[in-house]
Amino acid sequence: MEEGKEMTDEYKVEEGFYYTKEHEWAKVDGGMVLIGIDDYAQGQLHEIVYVELPDMDAEVGQGEALGAVESVKAVSDLYSPVAGKVVEVNESLLDSPEKINNDPYGEGWIVKVEPSSLDADLGNLMDAAAYKEFMATL
Amino acid sequence: MELKKTHIYEYHAEHGNVVDFGGFAMPVWYDGIQVEHKAVREGCGIFDTSHMGRTWAEGPEAEKFLNYVVTNNVSKLEPYGGLYTVMCKPTGGIVDDLILYKFSTEKYLLVYNASNREKDFKWLKKNSKDFKVKLNDVSDGVGMIAVQGPKAVDVLQKITEENIGEVPRFGIADLTISGYKVLAGRTGYTGEDGFEVFVLDCSLDNPEKALKIWNDLVGAGAVPCGLGARDSTRLEAGLWLYGNDIDESINPLEAGLRWTVKLKKPGYFVGRRAIQSMKDEGVKKTLVGVMMEERGIPRHGYEVMDMEENLIGVVTSGGMSPTLGKGIALAYVPPEFKAKGTELYIKIRNKFVKGKVVKHRPFYDDSVYGWKREKK
Repeated sequence: MEEGKEMTDEYKVEEGFYYTKEHEWAKVDGGMVLIGIDDYAQGQLHEIVYVELPDMDAEVGQGEALGAVESVKAVSDLYSPVAGKVVEVNESLLDSPEKINNDPYGEGWIVKVEPSSLDADLGNLMDAAAYKEFMATL
Repeated sequence: MELKKTHIYEYHAEHGNVVDFGGFAMPVWYDGIQVEHKAVREGCGIFDTSHMGRTWAEGPEAEKFLNYVVTNNVSKLEPYGGLYTVMCKPTGGIVDDLILYKFSTEKYLLVYNASNREKDFKWLKKNSKDFKVKLNDVSDGVGMIAVQGPKAVDVLQKITEENIGEVPRFGIADLTISGYKVLAGRTGYTGEDGFEVFVLDCSLDNPEKALKIWNDLVGAGAVPCGLGARDSTRLEAGLWLYGNDIDESINPLEAGLRWTVKLKKPGYFVGRRAIQSMKDEGVKKTLVGVMMEERGIPRHGYEVMDMEENLIGVVTSGGMSPTLGKGIALAYVPPEFKAKGTELYIKIRNKFVKGKVVKHRPFYDDSVYGWKREKK
């Protein structure tokens, strides 16, 4: 089979972010952690039409389900890159889920978590350089 | 395994996002599912449907054979008319849904699902043994393009010599499109007006005729649409997808296909006894349409609960309706839940999300969208 377009398109890996193998990102910001899905993941899903957000104050462990991101055709679970408590959710995504397609590392952030074991959790994630190496193996 | 390619593959490879769809290399979208969906509801979209099954049934007993193997009454068809029907196992389980077009009592064209091509042809062949009928699978020798939407007739007319406006719904006509002799049936799988064009004598090795018609349609203003929009438009129209909403474990009475089963037509047909006894006993589950009242997208396989949170059924097709902006689903539930307005929950991940039973064929307002819409 010939490769589809989405397989050959370039995707952006933002410096200064941490990444999971499931293509979530985490960005440490003033003691809090912003979480989203990366450019590769949004490109794979294509047109995102719905985001399921977690409840405020929900406690999550690293790798546990935080919500889901859905396109017309597919559902992608969102797993938390770090353990902690949900302190903010990006409610604007409920009406404008396409922000994740347009700006996955910025306006398309999904959840803000107050981390409970940040240093240990970051040790399990990849930085931008390591993530690029990982992506090259896919 | 190498994927099978259709007559239009050259275009898909250049413009589309091609995936493995049941062994065929097919596009899921070109520019995006939502814009393609919108083109079908508001303008004109075209779909490559060359992966579907097409078989000629010819011979002095063609009509008798078809009346034996399908549930609908083939004798009611006039020449150049088409009929939607199912064919069933002796158990009443659905082998496939299909459209058959009549040219004479001795000549019919059968059009069935891509995923069932081999199974259906074998089934037809096996059941044709006692009839004077010859079956000829021409799936690879006929290109097929669906032209769909409120502007489909206008767009297709631009490249067609004959006047196509007079062809009745479900009728088929000999037409000259892009200079080639074709057949075109006024039907489709989107809920919209339009045609399915059969490009005759067009082999996979020499697909130029089909490609020329496809490219001429694009030039005339049609928007190429992939399988994503094909699924989202058919779901909004409330149409059955074989393998999801119907299969060999489902009886046409359960699937809301009672209208395609003519129990009183003369002679036996395969599945008749089982369907009759299910009719006498009553069905235990029935296909309903569900529209979400809260945020959430139902998907194939999700569980359906009553308001006391008891498991009552399962979603067989679901998704976000681009036209309605809400999650919609087809689901099997016990008949006591089939009344319009009945509230129920769909379990989406770990949440019970509220929905209600609605009219679903189609889900949208058919005075605004679809082939019955009021012409402006």
